[in-house]
Amino acid sequence: MYENVKMPEGMNPEVLEHLMNPKNYGKLDDANGIGVALDEKTKEYVIFYILLNGDVLDNVSFATNGCQDTVVIGSMFSEMIKTNDIEYAKKAIEKMHAKLGEMTPQQKICAELVFTAFIAALKNHDNRAEGKDEELHLLKMKESCEATNMETSNE
Amino acid sequence: MNKTYQKKHQLWLEILFASFAIEDEAIKSRLYDFSQIAFRHMKWLGEEILAQGEDYNYDRNQMMLYKRESVFSILKDLKKFVEEVQEFYPKNRLGERMHTDDVYLLEYLQELLVQPTNDGEITAFNMKREWDDLPQDQIDALTLFLFDESYKEYELILVYAYMQARTDNILHYNVFQDLVDESYFHLKSFGNMMARLGILALPRELHEMTYIVKDLDQFIKDGIAEEEAAKEMCKELSDAITDEKLSKFFDFINYQESYHIELMQKLL
Repeated sequence: MYENVKMPEGMNPEVLEHLMNPKNYGKLDDANGIGVALDEKTKEYVIFYILLNGDVLDNVSFATNGCQDTVVIGSMFSEMIKTNDIEYAKKAIEKMHAKLGEMTPQQKICAELVFTAFIAALKNHDNRAEGKDEELHLLKMKESCEATNMETSNE
Repeated sequence: MNKTYQKKHQLWLEILFASFAIEDEAIKSRLYDFSQIAFRHMKWLGEEILAQGEDYNYDRNQMMLYKRESVFSILKDLKKFVEEVQEFYPKNRLGERMHTDDVYLLEYLQELLVQPTNDGEITAFNMKREWDDLPQDQIDALTLFLFDESYKEYELILVYAYMQARTDNILHYNVFQDLVDESYFHLKSFGNMMARLGILALPRELHEMTYIVKDLDQFIKDGIAEEEAAKEMCKELSDAITDEKLSKFFDFINYQESYHIELMQKLL
């Protein structure tokens, strides 16, 4: 079920393709959940859009002003979870976390920025469902790209 | 009018990236000149939109840079897009100016297309990533640098242009223009290098969270920190890269970043 769960490894053709043409990039006009993860030190952000239909992510997209690691991870992750359900997406994050050890500290932070923005989008969806007037849900990162001693906790 | 602005933005990128993709120096140079004309159109159009009390954004409507394999396929697509855009121009002096400039561009494209010797292979998208004798690890580092920095220069061009259109301060206006011009040159350098490596790609679309600046001072301070980081990246690449010409180029960019910081400090 999780055969597509992977992280960028080196500069292979697949990673290059995500760099040249990121998947699911840009705004999603009919999103019903919008989340932002912000690194206050570097001002890097990921904004994640979801169109949730019941438990199924009918459509997703993201945008960022961050580095290319963020773009590749956002492109891969959004492609992975699109048309799957929330349970699948959350397990995909767990699986990706398990692989974070193989990455550089900066890549870990980039991955966290993407996952946190997705979690924020789910939160925004829930808040809207409860009747709250919230355009988007913002989560600030505890760890920064600039930091040297990085952990993966964020909320 | 925002729709017109979006089309003009896309046309600017289409012309600019066609110039990067095509190797023939004469065609590359002419298209680059036309891209600068299109960028000025964008600037004037933006000013006109603001003067009318409206606003514009940098959305690009799912624009793609197709991986075309011949000069003629690029020129034909560009010609088609220039023709399509005409109907969006306003019926006024600026609209006429943009139209007559584009008519001249269309004539130039048609001249190129009737001469079969102008056609040729396009290698800008082949993903081969070869650069003389540069070893693979250095090509990997160069690849990442070019993706990061080509986006960053595109971002800076648009952010500074956005702020320039909204300031009444002449000093700020001039500094923004210098910064736009500098980033335009950097984007040209990096775009041509990406094409040579076979990895030419459009910079990602800018989200409004990036270009709507609420605190100019903080934005400039952050920008100076980014320029410092870019200088460091250039220095690292210059030290690491064994190709002498390439290494000198990164030293040159590094020194230019120093002056960008001077320019930005004038905004504080």
